[in-house]
Amino acid sequence: MKVPIEWLNEFVVIDIEPEDLAKRLTMRGLEVEGLEKLAPRFSGVIAGTITRIDAHPNADNLSVCSINTGREELTVVCGASNISVNDRVPLATVGAALGQDFVVGRRKVRGIESFGMLCSEKELGLTDDHSGIFILPDTVTPGSVLADLSIAHDTVLDVSVPPNRGDCLSVFGIAREVASILRQKAKLPNFTLQAYGDGRAEDEIDLAIHDTNACPRYVLKLIKGISLAPSPFWMRRRITRSGMRPINNIVDVTNYVMLELGQPLHAFDFERLTESRIEVKVAQGSSNFRTLDSIDRPLETGDILICDGSGPVAVAGIMGGENSEITGATKNMALESAYFNPFSIRATARRLGIRSEASLRFEKGIDIDNVGYAAERAMYLMHELAGGTVVKGQREIFEKRESRTIYITYSNINGLLGTHISRDAVTRALRSIDLHITKEDENGFIVSVPNFRHDIGETADIIEEISRIHGFEHIPDTSPVSVLKPQKLTRKERFLNLIKEYCLGTGFYEIINFSFFSVKDIENFLIPGDDERSRYVPIMNPISRDWGVMRTMMIPSVLRCMAYNLNRGAKNLRFFEKGKVFFRESAGGISERTMLCFAITGRQKEYSWKERHPDYDFFDIKGTIEGLMERLGVSCQVGATTEPFLDHGRGADIMIDGIKAGWAGAIRDDILQLYEIEQTIYCAELRFDIILEKGNLTLQYKPIPRYPQSTRDFSFYVDDGVPIAILVEKIKGISPLIVSVGIFDMFRKEMRSVSMRVVFQSYEDTLTDERINALQEQIIGELTKIDGISLRA
Amino acid sequence: MDISGLKEKIDSEVSRIGNIEDLKRVKVSILGRKGLFADYIDQLKTLDKDLRRDAGKAINEIKSWADVRLGELEKHFNDIERQKREQASLIDITMPGTTPVFGKKHPITLTLEEIIRIFASLGFAVAEGPDIETEFYNFESLNIPSDHPARDMQDTFYIRPGVVLRTHTSPVQIRTMEAQLPPVKIIAPGSVYRCDNDISHTPMFHQVEGLMVDKNVRFSDLKGILSIFIHDMFGPDTPLRFRPSYFPFTEPSAEVDIGCVICRGQGCRVCKDTGWLEILGSGMVHPQVFRNVGYDQEEITGFAFGMGVERIAMIKFGIDDIRQFYYNDIRFLSQF
Ligand SMILES: [Zn+2]
Repeated sequence: MKVPIEWLNEFVVIDIEPEDLAKRLTMRGLEVEGLEKLAPRFSGVIAGTITRIDAHPNADNLSVCSINTGREELTVVCGASNISVNDRVPLATVGAALGQDFVVGRRKVRGIESFGMLCSEKELGLTDDHSGIFILPDTVTPGSVLADLSIAHDTVLDVSVPPNRGDCLSVFGIAREVASILRQKAKLPNFTLQAYGDGRAEDEIDLAIHDTNACPRYVLKLIKGISLAPSPFWMRRRITRSGMRPINNIVDVTNYVMLELGQPLHAFDFERLTESRIEVKVAQGSSNFRTLDSIDRPLETGDILICDGSGPVAVAGIMGGENSEITGATKNMALESAYFNPFSIRATARRLGIRSEASLRFEKGIDIDNVGYAAERAMYLMHELAGGTVVKGQREIFEKRESRTIYITYSNINGLLGTHISRDAVTRALRSIDLHITKEDENGFIVSVPNFRHDIGETADIIEEISRIHGFEHIPDTSPVSVLKPQKLTRKERFLNLIKEYCLGTGFYEIINFSFFSVKDIENFLIPGDDERSRYVPIMNPISRDWGVMRTMMIPSVLRCMAYNLNRGAKNLRFFEKGKVFFRESAGGISERTMLCFAITGRQKEYSWKERHPDYDFFDIKGTIEGLMERLGVSCQVGATTEPFLDHGRGADIMIDGIKAGWAGAIRDDILQLYEIEQTIYCAELRFDIILEKGNLTLQYKPIPRYPQSTRDFSFYVDDGVPIAILVEKIKGISPLIVSVGIFDMFRKEMRSVSMRVVFQSYEDTLTDERINALQEQIIGELTKIDGISLRA
Repeated sequence: MDISGLKEKIDSEVSRIGNIEDLKRVKVSILGRKGLFADYIDQLKTLDKDLRRDAGKAINEIKSWADVRLGELEKHFNDIERQKREQASLIDITMPGTTPVFGKKHPITLTLEEIIRIFASLGFAVAEGPDIETEFYNFESLNIPSDHPARDMQDTFYIRPGVVLRTHTSPVQIRTMEAQLPPVKIIAPGSVYRCDNDISHTPMFHQVEGLMVDKNVRFSDLKGILSIFIHDMFGPDTPLRFRPSYFPFTEPSAEVDIGCVICRGQGCRVCKDTGWLEILGSGMVHPQVFRNVGYDQEEITGFAFGMGVERIAMIKFGIDDIRQFYYNDIRFLSQF
């Protein structure tokens, strides 16, 4: 909320600097987000009196004015029509600067020399009003330098009012807090409402409320014989500085009183109210209603309606109807000041999509005890500004409520805050914000809560008030009294830590993507309808179609990320992501699963002066997974894959204990093209839940063998149809003395030739050549028994 | 037995050694199994006891002397050889080295781990919850009523009525309190979602929620714990302030600000000229939240806090566009 300090000063004496005030409001919980210093954006402007106005001899719409500045008489050509002799006006003399870059010069206007110009409020940067010349109050003496006058200066605080503090949505509401800070008491505006005439409002207008829960208080007052006109400068300036736009004196007064006291008001053309009656009803069923902005609004059951004898004339608290609005012809006016149920207003405002200054205040809850006062205040101002006669009396329905009381003990307060605030200080703090202690005992007291504080309902609310008035900076920093218990890492954390450590050590950059992707991604990856990855969870209100559903697989976002980098000149990438995927389950359930995704492309390094690094291939991604699994104590195997998006020459499923835990391989090039990627990408995606279940991080020492190892090399011709893994497994199975089987060469001439190195090791003794030779024969025998394998001599 | 002239003989042979091959040959001819000394030692056996002792002593002295001479010479030739080899393999040490490959953690992870480390050292355990939450856990149970503006479709992603992408990690508070009795001391890191996408908002971001519930947990404890956190995270001299604020699920509520790291409190664009940066929200758990989970709010109290991980990372690393975290540009990632 924007609060001009000049206005605030009317209710409380601001005897500190605006910066200090802003800081202290902020530390009270009313954060001042901005502090706008209004300084004159002009120079060389002085006040003058118009002594003479003549028509311009050469132009119909110009006049030639004589201006007395107290020292001299100057001739000025002027185009405005709102001026008359004896008006006090701002005169920008020759050399005056207006705004950033306009300097007033001496110039001839249609043959007549003009020694300066008369200014509008807009030209002086005071308001947006450019309809005519700014007429100064008579109290300004001719010759005064305008930049020195108080009207050119102010500071506007931009206060961020917390959503529960509707009572601070007015200058007076802020003044109450400021008064508490400055140890003063905020004073309401002082005025005397003069009502005349024989009639009484009670005789002229009827009022009925059908549901006092929807509207517990409604006040109607009448004023007759008003004339619509622009508001005076002081009111327009305050309204403008508060962020609203001046319209005319009647509308401006309703806005002004709302800004001043927080009470939204509504003005009806009294003559247009059928049967001179107002009924507050709650709508039953749907209908349409044309609001004053000429839009037909759909009304629904539960909306609060203000009706006359023929039907709705306003949607309560939100907007008036076209049928009863004030027009230029309005003479007699009925003013509504009321309290509407905040929940109803909020529901209607939300449904209609109207968030007005009025509905905002009704939604937060206004001061029900202030409804009558605000009506009188508005009547007084309207009479001052628009003339007419205020009709005596009023129509009012007010269903009074019990005021809330709360019992609280001093140990409640100091116990929760960790403080030693004295009883006196507590009482003083509460009294400063109009929370009064009605009853006291040795432990605590009963406090009564004023009706404008909708946020206070229980002891915690009272403690909050005391804490912020006491000042958070005066509450000590303490350590909790409970014993500090060290926290063990969970199994999941230990696994994730190891995985991250592994990825870092193996050159992977971690990436983080959004959890959403597009249905198109599922199509791109050719996921069949019966695959769980096509059971996506859609978002009702996505930001865009690209992020329309929760992702069911990681790889599409990882590919996008690779494409992003490849497009920007990177060629060699190693990415890894840990993230969640989401699936729709039967019966409306949703499951979440943590996944690991790896993607590599290019080669380890673009170049090196020593050697050329080979391009990544399938075995790089496979090795990455194998190394990780070994690190986590998981034994995994590869199997033929059916993943539709993998290049089937270079893809595999990753199996753990016969369960598919993921896949690894090259993504099909036609799919890569959909992501605008032209180079081969090797990826793997793994289910973290399975790894977590099957993994083993137990560390257990095994004695280091005391006897030497022996090695033997073998070469076999192996048919392409025989997987090498079968040879390795076969050899390993021959004897526990065989501790490792490695492949150190593979080439293809007419047949595939594979060379293997087998390591023999005993924990009991040194293996003799005879024993190793026997094992060697056994290996050759067992392997050559297999179809498609023969020994290479 | 005549050993006179032996020393001179050896000396003259040794002085004629010109290279390592000569040395090896001479060494064998003098000290070898069939060398010069072997002869003498054979002859010693023929002498009688007294003479043998004296002659043996003299021979041993000459032998030790010869050992040292030849040893020195060997070292000399080895040094020359090494120098030659080193000269031959001279490299340009200014050529670039071969760095091992290494990866990097995402800055969000770095920041998250740092936050978790600090709170773990203060006795907080990590707790988790689902990303897709019910409105009950995300809103109602946290005292956010159904007509609260935060629940608009403009702010919250809906999966279907009643089910949302969590807008904060606070639901983990509720899930944890429902599952266990006090004392509770947890932090809950995770992804959260809001309908926003601009220079300072991404539709997904990360939060860490904290909750401590026990007998006699005080607002002053909240201040103490969060001060320790901030001074560990941003340095011991970081100015900080607790400022009254409003959250539906805490009361009293406090916003925690740190002195602007850009302008050091002088006021700049980043801190909107206030000299302060909002870093986290916190407060004493609202009694209604305790009632919602069936805790006896007369018996126990607690505090909760929540912070945006990206925001902390942005302040710590000086990042000015939150979307950078999610482009995953290698030129960005490699900086951390
Ligand atoms: Zn700053």
